[in-house]
Amino acid sequence: MATGVDQAVGMSLVVFSLLLFTYYSVWVIILPFMDSDHILHTYFLPREYSVILPGIAAVILLLCIGAFTAVIMWKNRKPKKVD
Amino acid sequence: MTKLLEWLLGVSLVLAAWAVVSFDLLELRLPQSYREAAWPMPLYLLVSFGCYSLGTVGYRVATFNDCDEASAELLGQIQEAKQDLRKKGLKI
Repeated sequence: MATGVDQAVGMSLVVFSLLLFTYYSVWVIILPFMDSDHILHTYFLPREYSVILPGIAAVILLLCIGAFTAVIMWKNRKPKKVD
Repeated sequence: MTKLLEWLLGVSLVLAAWAVVSFDLLELRLPQSYREAAWPMPLYLLVSFGCYSLGTVGYRVATFNDCDEASAELLGQIQEAKQDLRKKGLKI
């Protein structure tokens, strides 16, 4: 079994993904069927954000991947040999 | 029918059903709450797939089998091999 930090990080990823899935499911699927004056609505942002926030997250993810690739390629550049 | 065609057919059927419900293309006049729950469906499926991937990765990191004994045994064997080669003249 993995120990220490590995286990902590792994378990926190699992818990985070479960929380995110539950929150997003309630936001997208369950809220439209609740009356507009139900107390549950106070815990959720307006519905437009359920599309905008994943879009922003996707853009940030692509930026991180691009930046990482750029840094790696910059570190691995070799100067051309002069014969 | 090839697998590609089967998948494309399935995907286009699902997409057509989604479009009919979201944009009221057949004038079905479903209740507003059904339409409101249906139109973010592609994005919702993408987000839930991402959550499933993240959870699976995290779970497999947490339950990874470390094999401590095998690791110690391997290190011992490496030491043994190094000594043996040094005796036979290889410089390590």
